[in-house]
Amino acid sequence: MSQLLQVIINGIALGGMYTVLVLGFSIIWGVLGVINFAHGEFVMLGAYTAWLANDQLGLDPFLAAPLVFLFMMMVGFAVQKILVNRVIDRPHLVSLLVMFGVSIILSNGMKLIFSADFRRNDTALDGSWQLMDGVTIPVTKFFVLLAALGIVSALSVFLQRTRMGKSIRAAAQNREAARIVGIDVKKVYAITFALCIGITGAAGALISPILAVQPFQGPPLTLKAFAITAMAGLGSIKGALGGAMILGLIEAGLAIYISGIGTNLAVIASFVILVVALVLRPQGLFGGLRPVDAMAS
Amino acid sequence: MSGHLLVANGISKRFGGLVAVDDVSIHVNKGEMVGLIGPNGSGKTTLFDCLSRVQEIDQGKIEFDGVDITKKRPHLVAHLGLSRTFQVIRVYRELTVLENMELSLQWGKVSTAKLFQKPDSSTRDKADQLIDFLLLSRLRNEQAGTLSGGQRRLLEIGMSLMSDPKLVLLDEATSGVNPALVEEIKVRLQILNQEQGVAFLLVEHDVRFVKDLCDRVVVLNYGALLAEGSPQEIMENKDVIEAYFGDDGETDAPEGNDTTVEAKSEGVI
Amino acid sequence: MRRLVESKAFRRVAVMLSLAVLAWLVVLPLRESTTNSTLFSLTLMLTTIAISINWNLTGGFTGYVDFGHAVWFGIGAYVTAILMTKQTSGLGIGWPAFPAIVLGALIAGGMAAVIGKATMRLKGPYFSIAMLGTFVAVREIVRVASPLTGGGVGLTLPPYLNRQLFYYIELGLVVALICFTWWLRRTRFGSALIAVREDEVGAEMRGINATRLKVTVFSFAGGSTGLFGGLWAFQNTFVDPDIAFVESRTIDAVMGTMLGGIGTVAGPVVGSAALYWLREVLWANFLDYHLIIQGLLLIMIVLYVPKGIVGLFDPRSTSIVTLWSRWFGGESVDAYGSSEDLVQMNDSADSTNDHKTEVTS
Repeated sequence: MSQLLQVIINGIALGGMYTVLVLGFSIIWGVLGVINFAHGEFVMLGAYTAWLANDQLGLDPFLAAPLVFLFMMMVGFAVQKILVNRVIDRPHLVSLLVMFGVSIILSNGMKLIFSADFRRNDTALDGSWQLMDGVTIPVTKFFVLLAALGIVSALSVFLQRTRMGKSIRAAAQNREAARIVGIDVKKVYAITFALCIGITGAAGALISPILAVQPFQGPPLTLKAFAITAMAGLGSIKGALGGAMILGLIEAGLAIYISGIGTNLAVIASFVILVVALVLRPQGLFGGLRPVDAMAS
Repeated sequence: MSGHLLVANGISKRFGGLVAVDDVSIHVNKGEMVGLIGPNGSGKTTLFDCLSRVQEIDQGKIEFDGVDITKKRPHLVAHLGLSRTFQVIRVYRELTVLENMELSLQWGKVSTAKLFQKPDSSTRDKADQLIDFLLLSRLRNEQAGTLSGGQRRLLEIGMSLMSDPKLVLLDEATSGVNPALVEEIKVRLQILNQEQGVAFLLVEHDVRFVKDLCDRVVVLNYGALLAEGSPQEIMENKDVIEAYFGDDGETDAPEGNDTTVEAKSEGVI
Repeated sequence: MRRLVESKAFRRVAVMLSLAVLAWLVVLPLRESTTNSTLFSLTLMLTTIAISINWNLTGGFTGYVDFGHAVWFGIGAYVTAILMTKQTSGLGIGWPAFPAIVLGALIAGGMAAVIGKATMRLKGPYFSIAMLGTFVAVREIVRVASPLTGGGVGLTLPPYLNRQLFYYIELGLVVALICFTWWLRRTRFGSALIAVREDEVGAEMRGINATRLKVTVFSFAGGSTGLFGGLWAFQNTFVDPDIAFVESRTIDAVMGTMLGGIGTVAGPVVGSAALYWLREVLWANFLDYHLIIQGLLLIMIVLYVPKGIVGLFDPRSTSIVTLWSRWFGGESVDAYGSSEDLVQMNDSADSTNDHKTEVTS
C-alpha cells in the first residue's frame, strides 16, 4: 500500500518534470510544424545557464529560472531568425535535419567550453519530506511540479486570453487564413519559437538539481519529448500534461517494483509506448500531423 | 447476376461526426458507362475511395467481378481489374511519361522471378501504343512533373488503362483539361468502351460529357443516393435541380452553351 | 550539363575512374608502406559505405527515412559475439566465425522484417522516430539481458587479427553491394520501389504490393548491415552496448548518403568516402571542432545542396525536399510545380478542410 502511494507520488513528481520538458517541443511542432530535434540541447543550455548563475552569482536554480527564461528567449529568437525561418515552409525532414545539425553544434560546442564533466546544481529546496512510514515526497521534484503547473496555467491563460495568444492559435490552425485576416504570421512564429525555447530553457534550469548537467544530456530528453507528444497529440497543453503524467507513473512504477534493472526498463518502456502508440493509431496520428489539429485544448 | 461487374451494397463511411457516404448502393454492369454526379462535398470522391479500397468502409459490402473485395487490400483489387484515377492527380512526378506508364503494368501477372528482371519489350510496346493513343508521344521522355495539369490527367488515364482493367473509375477526368482535348478524351473513352468493353464509372462536372457518354447517371447529395436514371431523366429530375440550386447560387458554369436546357443543366452540374 | 552526363564519353570516364580507384584499393594492402592501422581505418570506411548503401535502399529508394538503422549493425555484432562465445558447437564452446556472422546477418534481417512490418505502417517523421525509439529500446534490452549479452560489461571474442583478410572481404562485399543496388535499381522491383517512394497510395492502386516491397527491402538492408556488424565484432574482438549500438553509425550513413546524393546508386558511396576523407582532414587539423564543423556541414547540405554531389551531375536524381513533400502533399511546392499545381493543391486542401471543419463542429 505504501509502496503504491510512493509510486503515485514519484510518478506525479516525475510527470511534472516531464511536463515542463515537453511543452516547448509540443507547441513548436504544433504551431510551426517544425520538429525541434535540438530540443534536449536547449534544455541543456538552460541547465548550464542556471548552473553558471549558481556558480558565479550563488543564485538558486528556482530563482534563476525566470532569468534563464528571458535569456533563452533571446537565444530562441536568434535561432529562429537565422535558421528556423528558412525551414518553416519546407518538408519535415529538412527542419528535422537542420535542427539535428543545431543539436550537434550545441552539444559539442558546450563540451568545448565546459568539458564533458558532469555537474550538479544545488538548490535549497532539497531532500525529502517524510509523509508516513515508508512514503516520502522528493522536495525538489515537488517544487518542479508546482512550477510546471504554474507554467501550464500561465501559458493557457496567455493562449486563451491575450491577443498574441489568439494569433498563435489562429496561425496554428490555418496559416493562410491567419495571414488573410491580417495576422503577421512571421512575427507570431518568431514569438512562439522564442517563448517555447524560453520555457524549455527554464525547464532545464528547474531540472538542473535533479539531472546531472552535461553536454550530452540532450538526446534522451528529445526522445522523451517526442514520445510524450506522439502519445498525447501535438500542440495540446492538456495532452502534454496528461502524456507526461502517464509516462512518469509508468517509469516510477517500473523503477520501484522491479529493483535493479527498473531504470533500464523505464527507458525501454517509454519507447515501447512510443512505438506501440504510433503503430496502433497511425490514422489518428497521421491526422494529428496537420497543424490544423494543434492547440486542441 | 452475370451482367454485374461492380456491386456495392449499403456503403457507409463516417469521418468523425460527418457522414460522408450514407448507405449508398451502386452497381456497374459489364461494359457500361455510368456517371456519378452531385454537388461539391456530396461524397463522390469518398465513394470512389471506398470502392477502390483506398478508404476502409464502416458498413456495406463491395463485390467486383464476383469476388468480395470488401476487405481486400488495394493492390489486390487492382489485380482483379479495377483501376482508377484520382481527383488530385497521382502520377510519379520525377519519372518520365514512359516510365510512369511502364510502372502501371498489370502487377498481378508479374511473378516473383519477373519482378527481378528488367521490364520486357511487350510492356514498353503497350505503353507506347497508349501514349500514342492519348496523344502524348511528344512528351514521352519528359518528367511527369513538368507536364501541364491536362497532360497529367491524360497520363493518369493512360496509367489506369495499362493494366487492361475491366472497370475504370475516372475522377474528374476533364477538369483542367483544354476543351479541345476534352472532346478527344470523350472519343477515346468511347472507343475503349465499344471496342474493348471496358466499363467506366465517372465523376464529372462537365454535364455534356456525362450526357454524351453515359448510359446511366447516379446522383449523390449529402452522401446519400438522390436519384438514378438515364441522363435525360436526371436532367429533368426536380430533386436534382433543387439539390444544386437549393444549396447555394454559386455554381461553376463552364464553357458556353447554346440551348437553354443545356445552359440550365450546365449551371446545375 | 544533362547532355554531358548522358553522353557515352562521360559514362566511360566515370567507369574508368571507378575501376582505377578499385584497382588502387586492391593493390594498397600489398604495399610495404601500408600499416595495419591504415588498413583498419580503411576497413571502417568500407563498413560506413556499406551501411550508407543499405540505408539508402530504404531511405533513398523507398523513401522511408530510418533514424535507427544502426540497430541492425548492433544486432549482427551481438549475435555473432554471443554465438562465438556462449553457444556450444561440435568443437566445444564457441561457434566458428563464418557461420556465426552469417547467422547474425540472418537474425538481423529477420528482426528487421518483423519490426519493419509494424513500423513501416507509419509515415514520415513518425517512422523515423519510431525507428530511433526501436534503436534505443534494443540497446537497453541488450544492457538488461546480461546472462546472454554480458550486460554493460560486454563480451570478449576470441582474437583473430588478420587485417588484410578482413579488408579484402569487406572490399569484395562492398563491390558486390554496389553492383547489387545498381542491378536492383534497373529491375521492375527497383522501379516499383521508386513508385512507392513517389506515391504509395497511387502505387497500390496500380497494383503494387507496397507493404511486401518495402518490408522486403528493409529486411535485406537490415540483414546486410547486420553482416557488417558481425564482421566488425569479430575484428574488434569486443562488444558492449555502447560501442555496438552507436547513434553516430546512423548519422554517418544519413550524412554520407545525403552528401553524395540520396536515392542514387553512386551517392552513398561517393558521399561516405568524401565524408571519410573530410573527417580525416578535420580530425588532423581541428580535433576539437570537428563535430561542430560536421553539424554546420549538415545544415549547409540540407539547405544548399539537397541533391548531393551526384545530384550536381545527374539532373534526374531526387532531392530530400521533393522526396519528403510527398507525404505532406500541400506543404511544399517542388521545383517542378506549375501554377496549375497550386490550384490543384488548393482544391485538395479545400476538400479536406471541408471535412475538418465539419468534423470539429
